[in-house]
Amino acid sequence: MPTRNFMTWLAAACLLTASASAMQAQDFSKGSNANELGLTGEAKAMFSGKVVDILCELSGDCPPNCGGGNRNMGIVRAADNKLIVVAKNAQFEFNGPVDDLLPYCNKTVDVDGLLLSDDSGFDAKVFMAQFIRLSGEKEWKKADLWTEAWEKRNPKVTGEGPWFRRDPRVIKQIDKSGYFGLGHEVDEQWRKENE
Amino acid sequence: MTLPRTIIGFLLAAVAMIGPLASGAFAATNAKPIEVKGEIIDTWCYLSGVMGGPDAVVGSAHHTCALWCAAGGIPVGVRAEDGTVYMVLKIKGEDPLAQTDTIMEIQSNVIVAKGNHYVRDGVNYLVVEKVVANEGITNKNHEDFGPIPGFAVPEEE
Repeated sequence: MPTRNFMTWLAAACLLTASASAMQAQDFSKGSNANELGLTGEAKAMFSGKVVDILCELSGDCPPNCGGGNRNMGIVRAADNKLIVVAKNAQFEFNGPVDDLLPYCNKTVDVDGLLLSDDSGFDAKVFMAQFIRLSGEKEWKKADLWTEAWEKRNPKVTGEGPWFRRDPRVIKQIDKSGYFGLGHEVDEQWRKENE
Repeated sequence: MTLPRTIIGFLLAAVAMIGPLASGAFAATNAKPIEVKGEIIDTWCYLSGVMGGPDAVVGSAHHTCALWCAAGGIPVGVRAEDGTVYMVLKIKGEDPLAQTDTIMEIQSNVIVAKGNHYVRDGVNYLVVEKVVANEGITNKNHEDFGPIPGFAVPEEE
């Protein structure tokens, strides 16, 4: 028969197993005020965690200030220590999250937004941060700093229209190889066929 | 003391279930060298379905949108031939959000990348040391889908 010590160990293992299973299935939607968008595998999610430079977190290659805006950022979620990739902010003009996360580099924040994706080639969810605050603060800030930051990064860009029509790096590539990336002749052919 | 096989089996199962949770507790992850062939994609449109299904948000149809997203600081990925999506954390020694043309010049291209591979919490990450081959844009799916989104190609210049 197993000894008493062994039975105690077994009970602890059972408890840990149950806790692990419960945490893996944790629902983060409670209290969320995120805007639902009907995206693939979407779930509202509000959680706390530490804002990190992902490459630093993985490799120990850690430049100052989380790379100063040049690196992809994520959040190490406090509830389960999972590294969550933040792929998007709350804006709807092809904007990433880094300008919203960078002020909180290596600090603990609360975030509210959407976890999404159910792609078979990506065994995780990415996060769209819609609101953010330093943990302990009451007021949420909308995660919408990207466009303003782009204006500051591109003071010489003028003209009308959304940033993505005026961005010098985008314009350079389209000038070089067209909207489909296959040359201007392909663009023109498509236009003729779809007049 | 010899443990019954059923108890040993139970213990192994318990360790296997706890393992993935415990693994997250280690901040640094070991890198493995990798060579991977795949298309440079915009991960947001691909994973969220915001612009349509996965066949539409790759290749020539989605090229301009992919440029917008890369310039917009949305993480760029490599979609390998087996469907695995790798998040790109460096490209040819550069940080991916640096305000340069490096990532823009190979957006939507099929490349062979050599570098280091990290895995954490189900996500595959790629530090691209070198692009050893570039086949350009091979998926001419604009012939099927047109531009994605439709306003990507303006009506007139």
